[in-house]
Amino acid sequence: MANATLAAPEHEAWSTKLKDVGFWAEWAALVGLVVLVIVFQVLNPTFLSAGNIASMLVAAAILIILSVGQTFVVATAGIDLSIASTMTLGAVAFGQSYAAGWGLPLSCLMAVVASGLVGVANGVIIARGKITDFIVTLGTLSAASGLALILADGKPVTIIDPALLSLSTGGIGIFGWSVIIAFVVAVVAHAALFHTRFGTHLLATGGAPESATAMGISTQRIKIAVYTISGVLAGLGAILLVARIGAAEPAANTAFLLNSVAAVVLGGVSLFGGRGTIVGPVIGALLLIALVNGLTLLGVSQFYQPLAVGIVVVLAALLTRFQR
Amino acid sequence: MHVNTRGRRAAAVGAVVTAGALVLGACGSSGSADTNATTGASDTTGASAAAGTQTKIAAIIKGLDNPFFQTMEQGINDQAKAAGVPVTVQAANSITDTTGQADKLNGLAGQDFSCYVVNPISGTNLIQGLARLSVLNKTVVNIDSPVDATAAKSANVKLATYIGTDNVQAGKMAGARMTELVPAGGDLAVVGGIAGDVTSAARVEGFQQGIGPKLKVVQTVAANWDRQTALTAATDVMRANPNLAGFFVANDDMGLGVARAIANSGKTGKIKVISVDGIKDALEAVKAGTLDGTVAQYPYAIGLMGVEACQAAATGKPLPPDVKAPVELVSKDTADKALAATPKPFGAYDDPFKTLIQ
Amino acid sequence: MTDQLQPGARDDMLLRTENVSLSFGNVRALVDVSLTLRRGEITALVGDNGAGKSTLVRCVSGIHRAQSGRIVFDGDEINFHSPEDAREAGIETVHQNLALVEDLTVWQNLFLNRELVRRFGPVAVLDRRSMQVRAREMVSTLAVNVPAVRSRVRRLSGGQRQAVAICRAAGFSSKLVIMDEPTAALGVQETARVEELIVRMRDEGHSVLLISHNFAQVMRLSDQVWVMRAGRCVGGRRTAETTGEEIVALITGAVGR
Repeated sequence: MANATLAAPEHEAWSTKLKDVGFWAEWAALVGLVVLVIVFQVLNPTFLSAGNIASMLVAAAILIILSVGQTFVVATAGIDLSIASTMTLGAVAFGQSYAAGWGLPLSCLMAVVASGLVGVANGVIIARGKITDFIVTLGTLSAASGLALILADGKPVTIIDPALLSLSTGGIGIFGWSVIIAFVVAVVAHAALFHTRFGTHLLATGGAPESATAMGISTQRIKIAVYTISGVLAGLGAILLVARIGAAEPAANTAFLLNSVAAVVLGGVSLFGGRGTIVGPVIGALLLIALVNGLTLLGVSQFYQPLAVGIVVVLAALLTRFQR
Repeated sequence: MHVNTRGRRAAAVGAVVTAGALVLGACGSSGSADTNATTGASDTTGASAAAGTQTKIAAIIKGLDNPFFQTMEQGINDQAKAAGVPVTVQAANSITDTTGQADKLNGLAGQDFSCYVVNPISGTNLIQGLARLSVLNKTVVNIDSPVDATAAKSANVKLATYIGTDNVQAGKMAGARMTELVPAGGDLAVVGGIAGDVTSAARVEGFQQGIGPKLKVVQTVAANWDRQTALTAATDVMRANPNLAGFFVANDDMGLGVARAIANSGKTGKIKVISVDGIKDALEAVKAGTLDGTVAQYPYAIGLMGVEACQAAATGKPLPPDVKAPVELVSKDTADKALAATPKPFGAYDDPFKTLIQ
Repeated sequence: MTDQLQPGARDDMLLRTENVSLSFGNVRALVDVSLTLRRGEITALVGDNGAGKSTLVRCVSGIHRAQSGRIVFDGDEINFHSPEDAREAGIETVHQNLALVEDLTVWQNLFLNRELVRRFGPVAVLDRRSMQVRAREMVSTLAVNVPAVRSRVRRLSGGQRQAVAICRAAGFSSKLVIMDEPTAALGVQETARVEELIVRMRDEGHSVLLISHNFAQVMRLSDQVWVMRAGRCVGGRRTAETTGEEIVALITGAVGR
């Protein structure tokens, strides 16, 4: 046959796969999570009890949603540093609407709209203004936090609502409603990324923007879209946050920002854009939550927790160097 | 496609950064002005300045993203208004912004205030500015969060007085109350603020003294003064210690998160929780029974006494070096009284400055 | 002076430029360029650096617009506002940098911005299977070394990437495929493979406009050669009726016509 098939054959033997560092790098987050679960379970059998799994999942729900939003942005070689502050603004918008007596559905809408608008602003300034996303989202980070403080006059608004309460405490089996919502978001995001034209164009925009433009893809529109998605998801996260703590707090929360980026890195998404999955960051988020949960269960001193998280993230980043 | 311009991009970046810096700067200083207006206090430049007052007060507090400091600011402004003394209040952008607060103090130090009321974020972050003030012989009143003594000494910082909550005392009162609520031999957990924070550590230390040998602390976690983090941590701690009988929480915001976690597991009333601060939401929670007690401190009184101290210093009389601000334990039976009086204390308290001013 | 082909041969001409001129500020990039391109042939465009070859090609492919003169493609005068217009008219370009996305697979690249979808109401879902099948077809008809369509472009060699880019251009029933220095960065063996591919394309009925510095390649592959110098078209020859030396002489200006 004159036609020789070159480039990688479609199916490699499992033994060669296991010896390949690249393989481990792709699945680092999952491997890490499994190892963590085994270690913690051995050290403290309540780790895998139904109640604990349920609380871990609920604790992870907000982070998962934010990480999905961050993934869309990072896949276009961007970054959204304002995601947590946008969520705070959304929570405040929710609180103010609710306190003004607008009712639950409208308050939810306000949260999503407020955060979505920040996302649109990010996208337009970055895409049309051609300014680095790092700087723009750094600016929106401060602007959104400030706006939240101004709107709320610095005071948290307590929200007592039966529907919201059942959202945060009810569910199906070990899966709280917030967990189910996060799961649905992840599934839709996965479908969007891998089964729509938008997803393919997104990856092209991130991996090879000149090629994408040469083929007629509007990278500007893609950029605006991903930041808007990030903002809207932050708004959704805001609703879940308010449900979880029972209040709309204007104080900024940087832990969510750092954890969302950490989850994305752990999930194998390249910070240079062009490649990534949704499953990866979801597992990354679960890993981070499980890590903190396990350390608390074991009564490890509070000083060691940040160190542990930092080590895990740096290890994951190192592993990504070996991704093929 | 790549139409020219490194130059254009750099200019655009520069413009954004400058604009951003200006906006942030404006937000920082106008933040306090905004809340002044909305809390109903009079304009800071004291339109009602009485004749012959040379006292002009500048106050630097930790941050305004927390009702605690907003109340402190209210106390400052109320007393200033009552006394007809002009006061300017500035706050750091956030409760962790140590260098930003130092910059603000330096900015104010260059102006013509006669008395400075300072509430530093850390024991040492304002030392440089304070040293400068001491060289200029301005009065410095330290409130709420103490300036580190050794650092002050080596920098020749002269503090006219310190007015603050005795955090150890506050923790002790919480501990004593806990022994009344939890039978002897019970297990307790502690939820602190940021790991290593001095205020948090003082309260926890006081709590340990207060519970004495009767009760035992089996686990301590740090929740960064954040309600969501405290909720997650408390859930995990309850799982790790199924026999847990109570929580001591270093501030009310986190305490409400812990109360929520207890409610989520259906153990309200069975696991006791006491926190420190006395914010309005906490008082409501004590009244409702979801929080078993809070040791209220009175930032209003602290701020008020800070201004009084400046007034007293202006009369030339020496001030007591260390003044304890009032703390009161609020439990279900006193919750109504506390709510009615807040932000002021509902009981009597000792104010040495009042006599000095007369 | 340009060589005009006989007026009677007009119907064979897929592309005809007539006195096309274009300046960028003070720089006169194209000056009265008139040339023709016959259907079903490989036409080469040669000239020194800065002669205007790439500029002319960009006018044909819709990136620039001629300031005077006209371009007639397949019987219609063209008025492209963007590369997409040119693509719709049937002109495909294989860029010098190939315009491939390394992290995507071969089939994803082939269908980039032309993805096949299945519609479920308002939602359009990628029809991955159909695209993969069609990709296999496209690649196997033309390419000599067939990269697996599901492998990522990152893993392909230079020649294989070139093949993918060419298949993409040829695969969408385009009338004219423009190639700018397709083998400039390739080794001897890969160059040979790509040249085979180009010839096959011509045999399958595509017309090719080839820009190349490689005289041997031009003599090997093309049916017609046009020479540009300093923004003008200085001569055109049937490849069979000329030699490498004559082409060089036209490029350098030793010969005027």
